[in-house]
Amino acid sequence: MQEPTFLILTALAAGPQHGYAIITDAGRTSGGVTRLQTGTLYMALDRLSSAGLVEPDREDVVDGRLRRYYRLTDDGAAELAAETERRRASAAVAAQRLRARLAGGIA
Amino acid sequence: VSAADTKPDPERARLERRYRRLLRCYPSGQREEMLGVLLAAARPGQRAPGARQTVNLVACGLAIRARRAVAAGPWQDALAVVSLVVPVLMLVIAILDVAVEVRQQVTIDAYPPGIPFWRLGLVPAGWLAVVLLLGLAGRRRTAAVIASALLALALVNPLSEVVHLTGTEYVAVPLLLYTASVTPVVLTSLAACSLAFSAGPRRGLAITGRWRACLMIAGLAVVFGNPAVTYLVSPSASWDGFGSLILDALTIAVAAVVTRVPGTVGWRIAVLVAGPMLLLDVASIYFGGSTASVAVPLLGILLFAVLMWPVAIASWRGRVRLSR
Repeated sequence: MQEPTFLILTALAAGPQHGYAIITDAGRTSGGVTRLQTGTLYMALDRLSSAGLVEPDREDVVDGRLRRYYRLTDDGAAELAAETERRRASAAVAAQRLRARLAGGIA
Repeated sequence: VSAADTKPDPERARLERRYRRLLRCYPSGQREEMLGVLLAAARPGQRAPGARQTVNLVACGLAIRARRAVAAGPWQDALAVVSLVVPVLMLVIAILDVAVEVRQQVTIDAYPPGIPFWRLGLVPAGWLAVVLLLGLAGRRRTAAVIASALLALALVNPLSEVVHLTGTEYVAVPLLLYTASVTPVVLTSLAACSLAFSAGPRRGLAITGRWRACLMIAGLAVVFGNPAVTYLVSPSASWDGFGSLILDALTIAVAAVVTRVPGTVGWRIAVLVAGPMLLLDVASIYFGGSTASVAVPLLGILLFAVLMWPVAIASWRGRVRLSR
């Protein structure tokens, strides 16, 4: 799973969000490292919608502008859970090796 | 960053106009919502989209349109059939070419000495066999990339003709491209594109069935392998002009008839396979063979061929997801 996809699914895991909120949430989650471009966001949302991982939730109008909210589907939540587990497992391996490296350097 | 400004602001209005222009790349249902996001994310006083944002907006918009176009069921099914038929067809044509070379070698001593004649025909044939086998094994992305590499070879002939003749004397580029062989470029583009954008030849075989696929390939081989077939049957005969147009019509008939069962998939296959060649022939007949006549369709086909590269790469990187 590519980083933008992961960040979008993570943003929607908290509840339905509109496009701009997803961008700011992705920025926060990645610690400011990933700045999601609007085109990238909507390309991903289009693909994730057709794959059934996200779906439109509701629409409203704020300051004369249309806002569409998206929510995570059950399939999307399962996909995010699987990806999170993969990332957790590889991070655990990295952490373990770094601990071993540190211990080796001290000994 | 604030939401959209409420008071009228000429700079804001200009930025909005520019965003609206860029958003024409997107399906209409997405534009208003995206405009809101773009304006909310704009810096205070920003007057124009940045270069990076412009490229991102245009590229993503086109990608969405391309994905939606090929994700539509009938087109994707048609592409799957093409991904089976075209590589087999090309393999048959490559084998026919080898047969022609052997016959030339045997009947007339026409082949220049010193060149191993069998190599020219057999290398593409082997290459195509690899593409086909990978496709049938379900490795369609690898097959697409290999077909794209073959496309580079197919482009060498037209391009080297251009380079060779440019500057020596006045030569009309369209005529030059027309005399260079374009059929391999068209077919290889189709092979790479269909492998990248469809579920692959196995799905194609499931749609057509074995016999229908064989019928289709045999019919198409007579048409696309035309110079070789004619030469093998009778070396003195030749086809051009309306004869070629009739053959193209026959192609469409074959494709449409033998793929009747899946409903609307048949004519789509016909459009994909025979469309570019028919366009060329109609243009050359309509304009009476003048050089300008074939410029537009030919350049279109070459552009189409070159565009297959990013398509194959996008598919390779998994950016183009396909619903099965």
